[in-house]
Amino acid sequence: MRVQQPAATGLDLERVDGRAKVLGLAPYAYEHPAENPTYLYPVQSTIARGRITAIDTAAAETMDGVVAVLTHLNAPRLADAADKELAVLQSDEVGFRGQFVAAVVADSPEAAREAAARVRVQYHQEPHHAALRADHEDLYKPEQINAGLETDTQAGDPDAALASAAVVVDRTYTTPAEHNNPMEPHTTVAQWEGDRLLVFDSTQAVHNARKTLAPLFDVEVEQIRVVAPHVGGGFGSKGLPHAHVVLTALAAKVTGGRPVKYALTRQQMFFLAGYRTPTIQRLQLGASPDGRISVLTHDVVEQTSAIKEFAEQTAGISRMMYSADHRRTTHRLASLDVPVPSWMRAPGECPGSFGLEVAMDELAEACGIDPIELRVRNEPAIDPETGKPFASRHLLACLREGARRFGWERRNAQPGTVLVDGWRTGIGVAASTYPARRQPANTARIRFTADGFYEVQIGAVDLGTGAWTALTQIAAEALECGPEQVRLQIGDTDLPVATVAGGSSGTASWGSAIIGAAQMFRKEHGGFPSAGDTSEGDGERNPAGKNYALHSFGAQFAEVQVHADTGEIRVSRMLGVYSAGRIINPRTARSQFLGGMTMGIGMALHEQSVMDERFGMIVNHDFADYHVPSNADIRQLEAFWLEEVDEHAGPLGARGIGEIGIVGAAAAVANAAYNATGIRVRDLPLTADKFLT
Amino acid sequence: MQIPAPFDYVRASDVDNALALLERHGPESRLVAGGHSLLPMMKLRLARPEWLIDINGLAELDFMVREGNVFRIGALTRHTTLLESPEVARLFPIVTDAEQVIADPVVRNRGTIGGSLCQADPAEDLSTVCDVLRAEAVIRGPAGERVVAMDEFHRGPYETAVGQNELMSELRFPIRPRSSSAYEKVERRVGDWAVAAAGAAVSLAADGTIEESSVGLTAVGLDGTVAGIGDLLGGRRPDEDLFAEAGRIAAAACEPVADQRGGIDYKRHLADELTRRVLRRACARASEEQEG
Ligand SMILES: Cc1cc2nc3c(=O)[nH]c(=O)nc-3n(C[C@H](O)[C@H](O)[C@H](O)COP(=O)(O)OP(=O)(O)OC[C@H]3O[C@@H](n4cnc5c(N)ncnc54)[C@H](O)[C@@H]3O)c2cc1C
Repeated sequence: MRVQQPAATGLDLERVDGRAKVLGLAPYAYEHPAENPTYLYPVQSTIARGRITAIDTAAAETMDGVVAVLTHLNAPRLADAADKELAVLQSDEVGFRGQFVAAVVADSPEAAREAAARVRVQYHQEPHHAALRADHEDLYKPEQINAGLETDTQAGDPDAALASAAVVVDRTYTTPAEHNNPMEPHTTVAQWEGDRLLVFDSTQAVHNARKTLAPLFDVEVEQIRVVAPHVGGGFGSKGLPHAHVVLTALAAKVTGGRPVKYALTRQQMFFLAGYRTPTIQRLQLGASPDGRISVLTHDVVEQTSAIKEFAEQTAGISRMMYSADHRRTTHRLASLDVPVPSWMRAPGECPGSFGLEVAMDELAEACGIDPIELRVRNEPAIDPETGKPFASRHLLACLREGARRFGWERRNAQPGTVLVDGWRTGIGVAASTYPARRQPANTARIRFTADGFYEVQIGAVDLGTGAWTALTQIAAEALECGPEQVRLQIGDTDLPVATVAGGSSGTASWGSAIIGAAQMFRKEHGGFPSAGDTSEGDGERNPAGKNYALHSFGAQFAEVQVHADTGEIRVSRMLGVYSAGRIINPRTARSQFLGGMTMGIGMALHEQSVMDERFGMIVNHDFADYHVPSNADIRQLEAFWLEEVDEHAGPLGARGIGEIGIVGAAAAVANAAYNATGIRVRDLPLTADKFLT
Repeated sequence: MQIPAPFDYVRASDVDNALALLERHGPESRLVAGGHSLLPMMKLRLARPEWLIDINGLAELDFMVREGNVFRIGALTRHTTLLESPEVARLFPIVTDAEQVIADPVVRNRGTIGGSLCQADPAEDLSTVCDVLRAEAVIRGPAGERVVAMDEFHRGPYETAVGQNELMSELRFPIRPRSSSAYEKVERRVGDWAVAAAGAAVSLAADGTIEESSVGLTAVGLDGTVAGIGDLLGGRRPDEDLFAEAGRIAAAACEPVADQRGGIDYKRHLADELTRRVLRRACARASEEQEG
């Protein structure tokens, strides 16, 4: 396979959509012009489990401006109600608190909300379970875990190896439920014209969205058009359509063709748009006194919603990160009466790296060796899980480069020894990784216009990451023209099919299709095309995937200050070095890394969705109580990457950068906090009170 | 979208007009000042006033002036105005300390001292500040004006002495010689409400001993100032043992509740630690005053 020679890629190009965004001209889902729209406001269940016994909609229906009040008794039937998250208003069952039980459609958002408040729902309440516990009675083993991975893996005899290991770290780590919380709330605007559905959606995947909707509404995918030119973040929560998309499209069936608009409130997002499951992770590392790991086990307990299974691949990272002859990973689920968990930035690797990378820090200390040296000693020559060679594994180079830039040599191996002005200071490290995925089912089309531009079309989505810019650069390079000669079109199912902006796979997957289309275009039309000349190309499956283990790697370094008297904790400095294949645009790439690290600091210090198990209620369901870092919380933050092109990662040589920045970040902070204080916190988030024990 | 319940809106032309409007529209009408407490509550439907009476145009409530030994601050004075005033910083550094850690610039540009006190949120910072400075609130109503001390002003969480048909027009702060003050807050995230906070005001005698002192706590379930602090410190020389003793008293006096911002023990620990800090700082500042 020919690897593109960098030209337009690698340029520090400004965002091509930047100006429109700054001017407020880039339309987000709610802002597309809609003629004579109606507005939806839902009624959510106030019990966690049971049945609806009666709904009184009379007061709502008679209100001025109310177009319809939908309940499970009168809502149009869906053709397929198997997915209980998506089967909205199809039955009287309630599976979690906050679930949709009715919806008002009205002429104004004000009227819709007011009328929704007047709907009276009665329930037959059944006992519920809403809290995750390690000793939950009915833990079960899912058939597979997210990304289609095996639920459990085992090699050798881990228990025997642990019994005979000279040094053993056996600890349990927990991460709480966390919510994605993109800035733009989940939003859907839906309109039926006869049997055709038009949807403006805040989604990470227009084609996937319509593929999900089509069978529910018993139409062909071609009858649905989903449009999403600009999306204000998703972090995975917009990767799969959630119940509100179906609800809005369902409601649009009863408005006589008028569009229905619905943007979730921030509070609703905490129940209806996915979140990261809480995890309880037991790690056992057995090693020789010089730190060579002979056995590594990672046993995970986490939750799913009883109405729909989602199994986070939390221990996946422990399958490939370090060498060990004896290994085991397991995942067990508690099926609870809670909202449905889903993807959140680096599902699996993100929470799993907290357990694994803090355990590595504990092992380094137990063996009395430097944490970086520990990782050097356990660097596998091949992927321990599959036995395949790594296409490119530069973890050690990242660690060394990071150590040099960060000033690792100034670290005091003895924790709790640096105290300046009341602040204890320490530094810590953690490794990072994320699989390089490339989705094959992508097609791009290139057309030469009468005014001399290359129109490049693909149904990709820019969820704020910079895809508009990166894909423009990739097209320019493949066409050997300037970026200003490319007119990119994305975010519409009328464009050629594209896969999700997720799994850090977007750029590589779409980019391959664009390169394929450009090569086809030049083959068919040469260097001097005429107006209207058009070619299509596909991104073929990456053959290297069969023979190589494809992963990105990184090293996270953090400096943390903990106040000796109050336990207040802040991350004074953080630095990441990544190896992610070719970087298409340093400016947008840097933002991705820094954004991931920032979210990692949030995970380390703040984020925690608090479940009141008595009511199945997430109580801190807004930004007053669910904390993410503000600008003022983030101090010095730096991201670097190794200059490389991964020849096994497809024609682009890029592996994707959207998620790796968060992986290991919380562990680096926790390890630094330990180095500062000598207090090992194994339960996120690292709140001040935990440092005053 | 977070949409408040339906309401009507009217702009008051002066204080008398505002009072007349409150009278006319009755118990379901509310004044709106900066709106940074009221509007979020309306959007979350924790408050559903039928009428909003906007007092933002009332320049007569937006002032700061020294009259002899009293410093008067109009109820509509914005956080930012207080934060940026050199005179406030000199006379009452506790106000400047507190304003630096109240919310963020966007909130501070709109939020007012009157709104803060009348909101009476238990985690609100300026209530503690006014307590320890022994401020008085001026309340205007149909029957004219009355002046109430802070212990009378506070009636509990979200409740004050200001009647439905009244408004707070100003706060009055006594200026004492050889005195100073300080505020310290522990927050989980920059701009957040306090996990716990403490404020202290002291005045020193000519010989450097403490003459008068008060300590207040924020967000830990303490009404007014900490009892017994004045007696403990009165006539004594500022020193660490004394501050430690005061810290213990403060920690014992408060009744925090456990929440996401911290457990009871942790908050008590903060009450202790922060009390020492603010006393230390206030005394140091007061003795500088004395020298300078
Ligand atoms: C994100 C955010 C963070 C915040 N963080 C903090 C913080 O850390 N610490 C802190 O102390 N505060 C904080 N606040 C609150 C902020 O200080 C508010 O501005 C203040 O509490 C209320 O002032 P306001 O002028 O906005 O009042 P409004 O919201 O306009 O009014 C609040 C209440 O007071 C009444 N009222 C207002 N003025 C008068 C008057 N003159 N007479 C009688 N009644 C009146 C209103 O009717 C209403 O009931 C925060 C607010 C936000 C939005």
